[in-house]
Amino acid sequence: MASAAVDHMISLTIFMAAILIFIGLFSQTMQTGITYELHSALSTKTSDLIDTILLNPGLPVNWSQRDDAIVGFGLQNPDFSQYKLSSLSPTRLTSAQSTVYYPRTGAYYSNNSAGFGSCLLAPLSKSINYSTVSKLLGINGTYGFQFTLSPTITFTIEKASTGAPLKLLINAAGTGHTLANTPLSYSLILVNQDASTYPSYSMVNGVTATDPAGFAELNFPGVDGESQSYALIVYSYLNGLKGMGYYVHELPSLTKAVVPLIDSFQNRTITITHGDSVGQPPQAPSYSILSYNASFVLLTEEYTLRQVALDQSNATGKIFYDTSSGQNYSSVNLPNNDGILIVSYKGTSSGQYGIVLMPWGLSSLGFPLTFGGNPIGQDWVTTDIRQVSVGGISYQAKLELWNLQGYQGVR
Amino acid sequence: MIRTIEVLFVIIILSGAFIAVSYFTVLPSPREVSPINLRRLSFTTLQMLDSNYDLSRAAFETDNSTVWGGLQVALSASLPADVIYNLTVYDVNDGEGQLYNYITSISNTESLGVTNDLSTYKVASSNVTFNVTPEKIGEGSNGGTLYILNCSDANGWWITGYTAQSLAQDLYNLLSPYFVNTLMIQNTSQLYQILNGTPIQTETLQNAVIINTFGEAVPIPTTYATLYSSDYAEYPYLLGQKVRSYNWTWASIVGYPLYYVSNTEYFTGSSDHNGWGIFGMKQVSQPGINAFLQGLDSQTYQNSPTGVTSDVGVVTFTNQAIDLFNYYGIYPSSYQTSTRALSNSILQSNNLTIGLNIFNPVGNYNPGTIYNHKSTGSTNITGSLLALGLTRTPDIRVTCVSLLSYYQPRLYASEYTSEGTSRIVILQLGLVGSG
Repeated sequence: MASAAVDHMISLTIFMAAILIFIGLFSQTMQTGITYELHSALSTKTSDLIDTILLNPGLPVNWSQRDDAIVGFGLQNPDFSQYKLSSLSPTRLTSAQSTVYYPRTGAYYSNNSAGFGSCLLAPLSKSINYSTVSKLLGINGTYGFQFTLSPTITFTIEKASTGAPLKLLINAAGTGHTLANTPLSYSLILVNQDASTYPSYSMVNGVTATDPAGFAELNFPGVDGESQSYALIVYSYLNGLKGMGYYVHELPSLTKAVVPLIDSFQNRTITITHGDSVGQPPQAPSYSILSYNASFVLLTEEYTLRQVALDQSNATGKIFYDTSSGQNYSSVNLPNNDGILIVSYKGTSSGQYGIVLMPWGLSSLGFPLTFGGNPIGQDWVTTDIRQVSVGGISYQAKLELWNLQGYQGVR
Repeated sequence: MIRTIEVLFVIIILSGAFIAVSYFTVLPSPREVSPINLRRLSFTTLQMLDSNYDLSRAAFETDNSTVWGGLQVALSASLPADVIYNLTVYDVNDGEGQLYNYITSISNTESLGVTNDLSTYKVASSNVTFNVTPEKIGEGSNGGTLYILNCSDANGWWITGYTAQSLAQDLYNLLSPYFVNTLMIQNTSQLYQILNGTPIQTETLQNAVIINTFGEAVPIPTTYATLYSSDYAEYPYLLGQKVRSYNWTWASIVGYPLYYVSNTEYFTGSSDHNGWGIFGMKQVSQPGINAFLQGLDSQTYQNSPTGVTSDVGVVTFTNQAIDLFNYYGIYPSSYQTSTRALSNSILQSNNLTIGLNIFNPVGNYNPGTIYNHKSTGSTNITGSLLALGLTRTPDIRVTCVSLLSYYQPRLYASEYTSEGTSRIVILQLGLVGSG
């Protein structure tokens, strides 16, 4: 009788232990399967979401040319179909880069600038931020994302000479391969460093092609690369693949700069400010004056730049910064086209010349855009990519998506 | 003891079940769980390569090594570094035999691995002809005639830089495909003929559209110039009556409608000019449009000098009109300037309703509108007026867009292909190291 009871207790104990072990083992298999399904669903969601962003123009459809709030989010150019995006819409998105403060108005600016000699600063109050877009996409609190627009072709331009003649070395590369044997057209913008009060510029246009390694060297006889202020804009076209790049050379003797700020998308108003008056904390007390000459150019279908007159008295002028007597600025209105605002300027001392470029439309200078949250540190991030055209320039749109609600007991 | 042995059996069975489940539950590798959507990446890459029809050209020039070298560089450069590809071109056989025939392919890998996907893209050669056949306005009903005033014995005003005859020809070219009959009224005698109910040819008078290409002036037949010599505003009154009688749509392409009457054969005196150097016409002024509306509404004629327009400056097209720019392929500038926008005050007093706003109204004024006349208590339209109160010089594309937006004839697209004019391009993408 006693042995039967012991047998019963031993067998029951072993049975319970075995059941617990097997529940654990089966649960692990099931959890792995469910996690797989969730990751797979996240991937599907990513694909759906990137198409939602790229294949509708948003509401109102011309929100890129307005200053007010939007009720629907999308980046498609309303005048086209498929993956052709508006060039202006991305410029209304709040950049992931740190903001810029403008003490005169107390406003902060979204900083989409992409390197030396170029600016794309848009007022935060008129920009669309991550939270708003999340709500409009219906994923607020559910999913986090980062949206990136990167030019498919990137140009690396370096000065390859000292003094005259000026030589510039260009390297063109796609995301997966160098851009070999590709036609390039270029425009060298030379600031006229003469006695004019408001410095104008001259333009040297030409065409060339990259070698099998994707390099091309430009030679400009008579141009001194050290004492001359200039900018180079390069355009490439190969079998539907279009790219744009630029390079700006500033003189080391000039420590002051002109900074254009977007004031209104609707009125296409640009505030031209003195560089010392932008930023936080305010610059050290000083006095500085700059004479500027603003103009606007369009990219033609022949891949050359065509100047459009800014028929305003403010197209030329002087701006100063003086902490004791206030700050000066100026305003210009741009035409209703994508293009590049070119501001050439000079200081009060001899040889102080500079040039700054501002794209009106993201693609006008091939600027990239990063918008949204930070995927670093997230549990599982899925990615999807599309080839798109932004203002006629080839870009890759990338969406990274992650789940904000975790996996709720799956792990 | 026996129970312990039974439990051991149970453990063996559960172990077997677990092993069986583990064996059949093969989970994919992490990169297969949430991969890039290669199908869409492939499709958008093909679209990008064909954005200027370069891919189409390459698909039909497979022997051109320069074109294919460029295509291969563009393809390699545009795809992410970890994506491999195979691009294949097939000919589409429209006749008998195998439907798709292999032409050529390029690839940067021997094998695309397990994780791969593809998209197809149809390209057409430049030999393909596309044709669009428009629906005829008034087809199958009583109407469909377009009259364009092209009178050689009249002068225009506010059409500076053009002649009425050149505008008439452009209007003919743009609008005649959309009407059953399009006739040029070559002189004021022919105008007199249709005003008195006699067709020029065999066209239908009823429900016609009449475009006055003379701007602010309107050709006047000699008979009426003589008859109304004491008050030329009676001629627009007559026009209004005829528009009502035949349910015409009268189109004024620019400026103040019916502000002058013109007949170069009749008005030959030294004072027969508009004050701006254009002879052969008499000024009617504001009473012209007022008399026209009185005639349209069968009111008793009264010479009324009341002004009914305003200078409203820059105006924009309505969304409805803009939407149809693409459909009809006519693209006037989105911004126009209106200095002769008609007031809403003409609506109620003349039994007019707004049939279609071409431009967005500015306050109480309509820069460009098609007005419909409906008699009191009736829902039937008895005459219409298109008044484009824009400043000179006229853009006749605005007139075309206005009429097409109002009538909205459909376009039937057709494609004529011949053998060997279509090819399929397949782009298959894979991920590096996917097996």
